[in-house]
Amino acid sequence: MTALAPGRLTGTPVRRHDGDTFVTGRAGYTADVPRPGAAHAALVRSPHAHARIGAIDTAAARAMPGVLAVVTGDDLVAHCTEIPHGLDAGHLGGHHAAVRPLATGTVRYAGEPVAAVVATTPADAAAAAARVEISWERLPVVLDAGSALLPGSPLLYPEWGDNVIIEREVGPDDFGAASAGAAHLLDGELRTHRGTAAPMETRSYLADWDPGTERLTVHATTQNPHVLRTLLATTLRMPEEQVRVIAPKLGGSFGLKMYGNREDFIVPLLARLLGRPVRWVEERAATMLAGTREQVLRYRVAFDADGRLRALDVHAISDHGAAAPTHGWGMAHVGALSTGLGYVLPSCHVRYTVVATNKAPWVGTKPFGKDGATLLLERVMDRIAGVLGLDPATVRRRNFVPPDAFPWLHTSGLELDSGDYATALDLTLRRLDLPAVRAEQEAARGAGRLLGVGLAFELMPESADIPGAMVAAYDTSTVRMSPTGRVTVLTGVTSPGTGNDTSIAQLVADELGVPMASITVVQGDTDLCPYGFGNISSRSIITGGNAAVLAARDVAATLRATARAMLQLQPEDELVLAGGLIAPATDPERAVPVEAVAGAVHTLSYRLALDVEPRLESTRTYRPGNVRQQPDELGRMQTYTTYPYAVHASVLEVDPETGGVSLLRHVVTHDCGTVVNPLFVDGQVTGGVAMGIGAALGEELVFDADGTPLTTAFKTYLLPRAIDLPPVELEHLCTPAPGTPLGAKGVGESGFSGAQAAVVNAVNDALAPRGVALESTPVSPPRILAALLEQP
Amino acid sequence: MIPERFGYVAPTDLAGCVAALAEGGRVLAGGTWVLPEMGRGESAPAQLVDLRRAGLGGVTATGGGLRIGAMCTYAELLDSDAVAAHAPLLRTMADQITGGWALRNQATVGGSAVAARPQSDVPAALVASAAVARIAGPAGERELPVAELFAGAMRSALGPGEVLAGFDVPSAAGTGHGYVKLKRGWSSWPIATAAALVRLDAAGACTAATLVLGAVSAVPVPVDLSALTGQVLDTDAVRAAADTAAAAVVQPWGDVLAPPSYRAAVAGPVARRALSAALSSALSDAREESR
Amino acid sequence: MTGDGGRVELRLTVDGQERVAAVDPRSLLLDALREDFGATAPKAGCRTGDCGACTVRVEGAIAKSCLRLAVAEDGSDVRTIASMADGDRLTPLQQAFWDLNAFQCGFCLSGMLLAGEDLLDRIPSPTDAQIREAISGNLCRCTGYDSIVAAIRSCARPAAPS
Ligand SMILES: Cc1cc2nc3c(=O)[nH]c(=O)nc-3n(C[C@H](O)[C@H](O)[C@H](O)COP(=O)(O)OP(=O)(O)OC[C@H]3O[C@@H](n4cnc5c(N)ncnc54)[C@H](O)[C@@H]3O)c2cc1C
Ligand code: FES
Ligand code: FES
Repeated sequence: MTALAPGRLTGTPVRRHDGDTFVTGRAGYTADVPRPGAAHAALVRSPHAHARIGAIDTAAARAMPGVLAVVTGDDLVAHCTEIPHGLDAGHLGGHHAAVRPLATGTVRYAGEPVAAVVATTPADAAAAAARVEISWERLPVVLDAGSALLPGSPLLYPEWGDNVIIEREVGPDDFGAASAGAAHLLDGELRTHRGTAAPMETRSYLADWDPGTERLTVHATTQNPHVLRTLLATTLRMPEEQVRVIAPKLGGSFGLKMYGNREDFIVPLLARLLGRPVRWVEERAATMLAGTREQVLRYRVAFDADGRLRALDVHAISDHGAAAPTHGWGMAHVGALSTGLGYVLPSCHVRYTVVATNKAPWVGTKPFGKDGATLLLERVMDRIAGVLGLDPATVRRRNFVPPDAFPWLHTSGLELDSGDYATALDLTLRRLDLPAVRAEQEAARGAGRLLGVGLAFELMPESADIPGAMVAAYDTSTVRMSPTGRVTVLTGVTSPGTGNDTSIAQLVADELGVPMASITVVQGDTDLCPYGFGNISSRSIITGGNAAVLAARDVAATLRATARAMLQLQPEDELVLAGGLIAPATDPERAVPVEAVAGAVHTLSYRLALDVEPRLESTRTYRPGNVRQQPDELGRMQTYTTYPYAVHASVLEVDPETGGVSLLRHVVTHDCGTVVNPLFVDGQVTGGVAMGIGAALGEELVFDADGTPLTTAFKTYLLPRAIDLPPVELEHLCTPAPGTPLGAKGVGESGFSGAQAAVVNAVNDALAPRGVALESTPVSPPRILAALLEQP
Repeated sequence: MIPERFGYVAPTDLAGCVAALAEGGRVLAGGTWVLPEMGRGESAPAQLVDLRRAGLGGVTATGGGLRIGAMCTYAELLDSDAVAAHAPLLRTMADQITGGWALRNQATVGGSAVAARPQSDVPAALVASAAVARIAGPAGERELPVAELFAGAMRSALGPGEVLAGFDVPSAAGTGHGYVKLKRGWSSWPIATAAALVRLDAAGACTAATLVLGAVSAVPVPVDLSALTGQVLDTDAVRAAADTAAAAVVQPWGDVLAPPSYRAAVAGPVARRALSAALSSALSDAREESR
Repeated sequence: MTGDGGRVELRLTVDGQERVAAVDPRSLLLDALREDFGATAPKAGCRTGDCGACTVRVEGAIAKSCLRLAVAEDGSDVRTIASMADGDRLTPLQQAFWDLNAFQCGFCLSGMLLAGEDLLDRIPSPTDAQIREAISGNLCRCTGYDSIVAAIRSCARPAAPS
């Protein structure tokens, strides 16, 4: 554990620095930004999952009250390029698909935007949108990856010749050799279902075109304002400095609001075409289009008589939906990289196939493909335990990478930095009181009740840097102190609503020894902040935080040099910055207030004969050292910088008559290295657990036979509510990230994967006495009951 | 935000509502169903006739039972002593309505009945309560046993221009009740409900038993439990009754949350649980009385 | 053509201030508050009554403003969480939400704070189960609810000794 100095804010539960603005309803989100006179857009969406767009008759729409413009996909072609891809499958051996903000030619999923109406009010825009008449030539649909891979399947992109967006391999393909002599072989198939991020705030944009300066200002629900600016400038063929992107407070994102969604471009284009401000707030049903997670995972696993893994071979088939410019398909890649991570697995080979189907595309969603890998390994662990008659905890313990083996190179090329997985497992089991729970389970089984306990280990590679992607593992922060000692932090990272701005302020407060109240953090404005990648891959504290620490240290050095001159101290005399004062370590009585020193830097530079540049400002970039992008002899790279993990245990009861699941307990031990703010870390993990439980049990995007989405609202896409969940019991462990200034690891995606897998395992444990196993999600009451009833 | 234009009137009595509806349009009660539907553009009435000022709210005790206004909200059901005394089944039903107090303060019993959605709580509970619907229309007023109000999925028996004024519910004082609802978590629509009433004589034998299943079929499914009359109800009798209930579901409803096969499979267990609850509430009422 | 034709006058007391605005008669109360009365504390999360982000008090009772027609509320007293606090003095519940980190993105706060306050008015010493039920008309995607439950619990009046 890193010892944190007493009196420091880092590591303490500092509450949100601007929390009062939230609880009084004053925090401003994109849809709250006032703009009198803004026009409102509504989108016309395809009712068909696959169709050729025929004639579009806009006359009736144009004749509606309040209508200012009706724009079709073809109308926009002259005004913008296709959307640049975040991660172009076409450059990596797969297929490129040109995607424009509004569809032209063919629609490939129900809900695809084909035209936009702008009117003076949102109601008028929506009324007119309903009157845009389109003649469709319907095409055959393909709605699942398996069918899409069959010869003769309808093709989404006939020019490709198949429906494969990309197919690649990770790890050495040597299952045969590696499994030779293994005591046991198992094979299996795991199916996961389609889910969505469902943040409470839908997407929203306010775009302002100033014809005088030809400047475009876009308020957007985006995680990556700078990247979006680059993309907007490219797409709209504008000089980048003529575009300003502002990301106000975000009402949650979980990946949904990453750069490059086609919605990102529609509203700015309309504003420029009309020469006036245009606003659009996405309807909930459209937010629910974004897909994630749906996979078929076929596997073979070889293991020894004591349960130790020898080799794993996986074919992961991802049902991506239509191709998209966002890097959603990258989830399949990350899932492959993460498969088996954290376990000693001499051979692990994953072939992944990303398949185009007539559904709305995948959008990168927390935890970015790692959830499938977790579920797979944790099902495998339980199956091994079942075959060998071992306790599931024992099988995991035997396979964990031990604490003295780091750095640990996994077969995928990722290199684990640190961790103590077995201790996390022990802490979880102790909190759970496993023997007592097992005894209770025995008693319940005796009475015909189905009680289950499920374990899961999750390991989340975080802070990614995939070469050529538009976002990176590093970021930049500026720390600036005014003559009155006020501090402004400008950072390239943004907050999706997690409050990382408070954590960054905490870090800077400690470096400068000033109170939180004197610090302002500015995020999400491309005119003000240094170029940065925003919010991705749980890296805000690691990158923006570490960068702010480095910059604050520069400012502190100038303060120290100045204070030394003011106090006529020697260069070797140590100075302590604390409590808003700068004091000689040996003589605290002679302390001077920080603002006096800051004033002196700005006004007395010559008098004090400062031998440092009189500037209380520094911009620093923190680029983690452990990324390696020179491929090794097997073509592998180390693209992630931290590796937080957790061990979950879920206890639940299945109602044998209805298949209903009652969650009784959920215990998690979590390790994200040094904790900057335990309030926020606990909040992240608890939120992730709730989402993972929701995914396991009830959140499923369902389509009818034509590809029309049926789960378009919260009464059919079932988010967990407070009453559905047990309190999450948290335990903590801290193995600091080595070689980093803070020792912190990412936490933004934690909780989900392990919770989902633990619940699936617990349901299977509950059903075990009935000889039933469920190898597909969600483990919903209808599926559980169907499985029970099929059993003789 | 509602895309299509519409008129709005809020007449101050029932006759005014009927007169207004003669011009066409749709009734607005709590609005919890009709407004989101209009927001999605799935319904575009020329006008909304708001019942809020027409004096159709509240619950009053009548000689033999209760008069429940069409505009009575779930919250009013829960707050009413008369409901607790004469129709505890409706109270237990209302207590399981999701959406929080904000929803209970607003959504009405009448609105739920006229919406006649298969996946809902009110219809089966009203049928079990032997409520009689009071309906006003261009041709005057009429009464209808509430079971006949549910003409089909999302289809009430109200004719054009008719307004549901409310319900008369006979008192169920001294009758045990049970209400069980199955759903997939608190976010979900009901998937199967069972409303049960059991009346016992001094010797503990059943004098009357009622069971109505909801959400498992397009309309509520009443189950014939006359075989129970005169029996002392033990576990086997309740089980047999539940089997009868399951057999009564001939055309199970299916939706995105649960297919027909699931509803058919859970109907029996849900019925049994409701009957058991009704039986134990009848027994504890009896104990209470003998004390 | 303009879309402003047919606006009607709506009188509301919003957060204690009596005001009049010309609103589109198609507006939901949520839209009128946000667009015409500048009261943006209530948010649009679903427009189907499921998330609670739009919660306000109408004549004192909590209501989901996406389920109300604006013109039907003419003359009503409407309060949002913007007028919960007494000037700068937060209510104990607001304070607890802040201190215990009972929100992350904050989008759900209108519903969570008002449902919490409403519960404590009805049941001053609720059990955890009652708290969980009371906020189950609302969705929060960020917190997993535990911190919200803790914040409401911390404002419960200690149960009278029995
Ligand atoms: C968040 C949420 C949670 C819910 N939870 C549940 C639940 O747990 N169980 C459940 O069963 N339902 C639930 N519902 C549905 C809700 O109960 C019904 O929508 C509600 O009872 C309908 O009443 P209302 O007054 O709002 O109807 P409205 O929306 O006003 O009207 C519904 C329909 O009935 C017509 N109508 C209404 N009253 C009359 C009348 N007196 N005469 C003639 N026609 C009339 C209207 O024209 C309309 O067609 C929920 C809804 C929401 C939004
Ligand atoms: S917006 Fe009203 S409940 Fe969601
Ligand atoms: S804090 Fe984000 S929805 Fe509750």
